[in-house]
Amino acid sequence: MRTSRLLRRSIISWLILSPLIIAVLFPFAVMFITAIKPATEVLRPTWWPSSPQWGNFITMWNATNFGAALWNSIYVAVLSTVMSILVSIPAAYALSRFRFVGKGFVQQFLLISQMLSPIVLVIGLFRLLVALKLLDNLNAVVFVYATFNIAFSVWMLQSYFSTIPKDLEEAAWMEGATPWQALRKVFLPLALPAVTVTAIFSFINAWNEFVIALTMLRNQASYTLPIQVFSLVAGRYTVEWHHVMAAAFVATIPIAIVFAWLQRYLVRGLALGAVK
Amino acid sequence: MSLHWLKVAAATGVAAVALASAAYAQTVRVTVAEYSSKTGPYFEKAATEFEAANPGTDVQIEVVPWDVLQQKLTTDISGGANADLAIIGTRWLIDYVSQGIAAPLDDYITDDFRGRFIDTFLSPSVMDGKTYGLPIAASARAMYYNKALFEQAGITAPPATWDELKAAAEKIKALGGDNYGFGLQGKEIETDVYFYYALWSQGGNLIEEDGTSGLDTEAAYKAAQIYKDLIDQGLTEPGVTSLNREDVQNLFKQGRIGMMITAPFLSNQIKEEAPDLQYGVAAIPAGPNGDRGTYGVTDSIIMFENSQNKDTAWKFMDYLFTTEKRAEFDENEGFLPVNAQEAAMPLFADNADLKAFTDLLPSARFAPVIAGWEEMAAATSNALQRIYLGEGEIQASLDQAAAEINGIIEANQ
Amino acid sequence: MNRSIFTNPYVLIAPAFMLAAFIILWPLFQIGEISISNVNRFGQLRGFSGPENFMAVFADPQFLASLWRTVIWTVGIVAGTILVSIPVALILNEDFYGRGLARVIIMLPWAVSLTMTAIVWRWALSGESGMLNSALLGLGLIDQNIQWLAQASTAFPVQIAIGILVSIPFTTTIFLGGLSAIPDDLYEAARLEGANGWQIFLTITLPLLRPFINIAVVMNTITVFNSFPIIWATTQGGPANSTDILVTYLYKLGFNFGKLGEASALSLLMFALLLFFTIIYVRLAMRGERA
Repeated sequence: MRTSRLLRRSIISWLILSPLIIAVLFPFAVMFITAIKPATEVLRPTWWPSSPQWGNFITMWNATNFGAALWNSIYVAVLSTVMSILVSIPAAYALSRFRFVGKGFVQQFLLISQMLSPIVLVIGLFRLLVALKLLDNLNAVVFVYATFNIAFSVWMLQSYFSTIPKDLEEAAWMEGATPWQALRKVFLPLALPAVTVTAIFSFINAWNEFVIALTMLRNQASYTLPIQVFSLVAGRYTVEWHHVMAAAFVATIPIAIVFAWLQRYLVRGLALGAVK
Repeated sequence: MSLHWLKVAAATGVAAVALASAAYAQTVRVTVAEYSSKTGPYFEKAATEFEAANPGTDVQIEVVPWDVLQQKLTTDISGGANADLAIIGTRWLIDYVSQGIAAPLDDYITDDFRGRFIDTFLSPSVMDGKTYGLPIAASARAMYYNKALFEQAGITAPPATWDELKAAAEKIKALGGDNYGFGLQGKEIETDVYFYYALWSQGGNLIEEDGTSGLDTEAAYKAAQIYKDLIDQGLTEPGVTSLNREDVQNLFKQGRIGMMITAPFLSNQIKEEAPDLQYGVAAIPAGPNGDRGTYGVTDSIIMFENSQNKDTAWKFMDYLFTTEKRAEFDENEGFLPVNAQEAAMPLFADNADLKAFTDLLPSARFAPVIAGWEEMAAATSNALQRIYLGEGEIQASLDQAAAEINGIIEANQ
Repeated sequence: MNRSIFTNPYVLIAPAFMLAAFIILWPLFQIGEISISNVNRFGQLRGFSGPENFMAVFADPQFLASLWRTVIWTVGIVAGTILVSIPVALILNEDFYGRGLARVIIMLPWAVSLTMTAIVWRWALSGESGMLNSALLGLGLIDQNIQWLAQASTAFPVQIAIGILVSIPFTTTIFLGGLSAIPDDLYEAARLEGANGWQIFLTITLPLLRPFINIAVVMNTITVFNSFPIIWATTQGGPANSTDILVTYLYKLGFNFGKLGEASALSLLMFALLLFFTIIYVRLAMRGERA
């Protein structure tokens, strides 16, 4: 009885979601099918190649310098995530635990900095990096990404931290723990889900970022995936669409897997008191 | 806390993690436009060869997609972080010269060196009697036609005039199927250029002798009318405003387009991607008075005035313009030879496709040397798109574009 | 009370604040400087110009047209996203067979860089070689190829639809977080009182979801307003500027035409606009919450 109701609900749910799911999967299908077409069939909008060319992925890998770009993307995304989390945790902790002069100012400043997108600031940012002689330096891009993630990270963490009772740390203090010990042993373990979620957001933003990378990275050896793929279609005299699609497809796989794996934490982390 | 302090703190912080790239005494950075997937490897190879022949030098190649080249150069220069050498569209050169950014090369150019070039291609880079760039890439435009479609439709020779072109397009349309007579580009870079072919054939000019735009003239109206008629009568591909140059070329490679006007590099692409395609290359159709014009384009490699290693940079330029290096580059990319010796090589001299292009060179016209050219091209393209879409009357749209262009000319004086 | 750096809020905030101030405020200051200067196309300052750059932006008819289009773009995508995401989140919040899979699929667009999504769509939307047309033809939904990107009347709605599609994952995630925070006993109580599904939604779910909706509106508005790749990769604002929004107009002004002074002025105007909207919205939303 219960099973049949569940079954009915499942069918209805999938039916309602189906238009959206088709719309989501469509570009992936386009990517995949174009990627395995022989070069001579790419321009014909057929839905299946006469003979799938799996070798396209290998030729693409070599022709597009894919490995280096993949490594650069991972490097930038991981480091900038770690960095923004490391500076955001103490800031969020301070905002959620203490009253102090200037707190309102800091919060407003963070909200405003959230509104400044890289494209609006790109001319000024570029001058900054030039002044520091950090152009074409992946580490500089790490700093910029980390910074643009701070506002969001602090806000996420702060609203979550506020739901962790202060009593827990105070109890630890009573028992003679130093503030650092209280933080490490009591607070941080409780905060872990929120930190995970925030880290995922930061990682995605860095992984997908386009404008900063486009302006600040000049050398193909330092390109990240989005600009590497973009450079394959931007203003060349011919576009090898099967390579472009193969590259886009392969670039999508790692993060899609990470997503499938972490997606439940994402919702749980948000659920546990965020956005208050 | 002073800004300076912050700067130092951040600089040291970043420097601590930065992968230190030891600066060679003789480092030459070169910003290179990416024409195809072969461009990057070609320049990397040239750099390696050059470094081997000149110990102690380090040539760094920065490959930039063409679409963002202008943006990168602009930001680079504004931040004082430009390379030593860069490829630019020659049509941008006047801005670089008037702002003192490009260095004159005359001190380096010997008569012997100058003698290497075909003059048509070197002259656009000469301003006020000084040479500011060398033509790294040169091309002109001619008409490609699909021989198989022509045969099926019973067309014996490529059309010599626009009237003949229209007749040919009608015959191809009559064949049925999803073939289109004339491929018309209506989007992105060179949308305006595609219109100039018709404009020039009607005796029109981009800029009149009095220094104003030539778009508000009878010739321009007539030229636009030719294209508009082709569109309205279904003789072009549908949705012209959604097809850029590469899209139209793709249709041609598929054998679905009877005629299109484009650059010599299409031959290279056909050789690789559609080797079975039967095609020919012919002159761009002429107007009623026999006027015709093709678009000549060069990209120049320039040296920056603020370069610290001008001598080494020049040496590298010199190396790039040796006959062997030029031949290798032009063969890779499908550009026209700019070097007389190179042009005489069998590889180029015996190439029937290229001959059609070089024959047109006497009627080649280059983008006018005028500040703000990109903005004018955009105004022209916008007017054309309105006309092609039927959203604007021909005369009104072109007059409006002409007024915009005249405003830009005035503002830049 | 223990004295420790871990209880000093200023010390705790300092790293984040300094980094943000340095990398965001300094560039902002630079842009401010350029916007009131005479500047050549290479960004070299040539003296003070007063409000000239701002006047030039206001005088350009493209500015107003792009501004209006930006409003449609932002409102269209944000409203569309919220309207789709609420039911999607409601469904995904209930247990059903394959829910995990459905969640992963709906979150997928998030995993792809916007640039790549836009490039793929441009390819799929191509009139003659595009797989969207061939799919629709195959299904018998259309009888001839549609030139999607040839005119604004089809291109702009398609671009907005892509914008909605890529905004759904983030928004749905926020809503799912909100939904799972609603205690089950509230629903049970309502059901005992005989409320039907729609009533429960209106009286319990929606009010409790409101703060989450507000957050989604503000965050999405900021992102969508500044969103560049979708339009740039598909139409570059064309044909005839008919799909230009402020960011693409900004890019053309600054980088295609080299008018860095006007571009900087426009940057500041856009920032002011966004700030203004956010303040108003936050005020209104807060008043609504209190009432």
